[in-house]
Amino acid sequence: MKARTRAAALLLTPFFLLFTAVLVVPIGYAVWLSLFTEKQSGLGFGGSETVFTGLGNYAAALGDRAFRDGFGLLLGYCLLYVPLMLGGALGLALLLDTALARARRFFQLALFLPHAVPGIIAALIWVYLYTPQLSPVVRAMEAGGIGFDFFSPEGALPSVVNIALWEWLGYNLIIFYAALQAIDRSVLEAATVDGAGAWRTAFSVKIPLLRGSLAMVALFTVIGSLQLFTEPLILSRGTGSAVTSTWTPNMYAYSAAFDRNDYGLAAAASILLALTAALLSFAVTRLTRDRKEKAA
Amino acid sequence: MSLSWSRTSRVIAGTAAALAVLTACGGGGDATGSADGEPVRLTFWGWAKGSKEVVDAFNASHTDIEVTFEEIPSGNAGGYAKISNAVKAGNAPDLVSIEYPSLPEFVSSGALQEIGDVLPESARAALLPQAVELTTLGGKSWAVPFDAAPQAFYYRKDLFEKYRVEVPTTWDGFRKAAEQVRRADPKARIATFFPDDPTTFEAMAWQAGAQWFKAEGDTWKIDTTDPATTRVTAYWQGLLDDGLVHKNASFSPEWTGSLKNGTTVGYLGASWGAGVLKGTLPEQSGKWAVAPLPSWDGKPASGMLGGSTFAVPKSSRHKAAAVEFATWMATTEEGVKARIASGTSSAFPAATALRPVAKEAFDAGFYGGQDIYALFEAAGASITPQWSWGPATGTTNTAIKDRFGAVAAGGPTLADAVRAGHDATVAELTRRGLKVEG
Repeated sequence: MKARTRAAALLLTPFFLLFTAVLVVPIGYAVWLSLFTEKQSGLGFGGSETVFTGLGNYAAALGDRAFRDGFGLLLGYCLLYVPLMLGGALGLALLLDTALARARRFFQLALFLPHAVPGIIAALIWVYLYTPQLSPVVRAMEAGGIGFDFFSPEGALPSVVNIALWEWLGYNLIIFYAALQAIDRSVLEAATVDGAGAWRTAFSVKIPLLRGSLAMVALFTVIGSLQLFTEPLILSRGTGSAVTSTWTPNMYAYSAAFDRNDYGLAAAASILLALTAALLSFAVTRLTRDRKEKAA
Repeated sequence: MSLSWSRTSRVIAGTAAALAVLTACGGGGDATGSADGEPVRLTFWGWAKGSKEVVDAFNASHTDIEVTFEEIPSGNAGGYAKISNAVKAGNAPDLVSIEYPSLPEFVSSGALQEIGDVLPESARAALLPQAVELTTLGGKSWAVPFDAAPQAFYYRKDLFEKYRVEVPTTWDGFRKAAEQVRRADPKARIATFFPDDPTTFEAMAWQAGAQWFKAEGDTWKIDTTDPATTRVTAYWQGLLDDGLVHKNASFSPEWTGSLKNGTTVGYLGASWGAGVLKGTLPEQSGKWAVAPLPSWDGKPASGMLGGSTFAVPKSSRHKAAAVEFATWMATTEEGVKARIASGTSSAFPAATALRPVAKEAFDAGFYGGQDIYALFEAAGASITPQWSWGPATGTTNTAIKDRFGAVAAGGPTLADAVRAGHDATVAELTRRGLKVEG
């Protein structure tokens, strides 16, 4: 028994070391930073004095329209992105599930490949494809009579959604596909024997059996969306697009720290965002667990 | 128990040691250095053209100081974020490039060391007074000014001749020229409005006589609704609304692309832009020329657009050596020559006596042999003197930039953007506890 405790302690040490170093300490430091602000006197050139401000930075972040607008934007983003993502990934997974065995491998890989491209590279590629005078896509659209400005205030959100879809569709597709493969074949055979066609099987048998995966992907997608940062940041810098420097809450924190040198405000905004994500995760896991328990 | 725990503690010790090594790598070098014959090792962050060549030349001619140059993105493209992050983390280099507009922000955030005590009087005297003025804040000296950056108008001489367009000397003339260019080639525009770069717009306001940030006693007066700013704002709004200029990000691939294919035939920039164009468009050598920036009344006038200074972050333990190196770059013949001879820099030195050196070193073949330094000299003398930068340019410019991107026909206007920058600045200064009016 003693030996086992020792082994457990030994094996867990690296985890706790890393956990402390890369999670607990940074979060603690962020909380600490968020309680202070810089005050200056005179014309502001005499250096600054760090003063305790309590929850002042939190109040400032919540009182800033730009910060609140960031959450509004995330809501709009989710409303557009989540259905497209779920519908797209599910549709493609169902198609793959019915396709020929050989083509299946190819499409699985081809659709997953974009996910292997780092987000920042993906964003850079897409910015090129969105840029009016450079992009072959925009040129082709214009030739076809479709004028769409990807950088305009109306175009910016769909532009970012498109990049995210391109990056994540393949990933979620694999999850759905794996779930489809796990469906008991006898159930599908029974459906066929009962005279159900491919459509009927998909809608009445496969999709209902995929409910668990659907809920999980939806949850991860929404929580991932809260962290939206890289793609819009690339779009906001050096393109002249309508994506502002405080477009999402994460960008707000970044801009507060690095454009405005206000680390206290940046820390407070980050913690507010982290709390939102934590609350949301808690609520959703609670909800799904309750449902499972009821079902069981 | 004891066995496994000692193993555990060994693991911990090992991890701690590894971390210590990592931290040591991030820290600065030795404090004394030259005392024991070892050179003082400096790290220098910058992005200006020719920086690497200057550092090489310095290292070749100095044994007591050894400089390592690390190229960072230009300030607005992330360089300033990198610097302030490094200062906050305590591992900033010994010397950084900061442009005039951003210097007060870095000073007021306490990121820099005052350098007055190590900057020789002779160096200060050799520099353009306006530049020294812009680096002296609250009565203290904070940076070594490197270049003055008077504005200039670069244009495609061959296309202007082909389209029979006169080089404008006034802004009214500029608008007429813009119309002529578009008439001659419906795809071509005379110049570009940079929505990502408020400093170009601010230089226009400066040229017109605006004075956005004024320090009076211990109070900041913010004024962006003066007649000069209003005039500049309305003028550019007109050009944008009528489609007379392109709207592209500065130095973006689309901007470069439009220069390459001749659909942008001019560039409203500053002295350092001569080197940028030359480096970007080598195939158009001989086709470009430079003219003074058009003015409102036809008399020469200029703002200052960018321009670099060298400053010492507070974490550096080599202030004297860093300032010695900066002074060498800014005020010696070898320093200026090494930069300009790189072929990509057309910096206009703040050290007035070194301008002939710069002129000599710059190969003006790209501009058909035009004496561009004489033009910069005249433009430099016409810099409207009253402008100073506020202590929150990061906030001011971010707010303006965010709105510039959305400026569109029927949507938000340039005036809205300037107003937003004004309000954000006042709010930020108030938040910092400063007295502000405006």
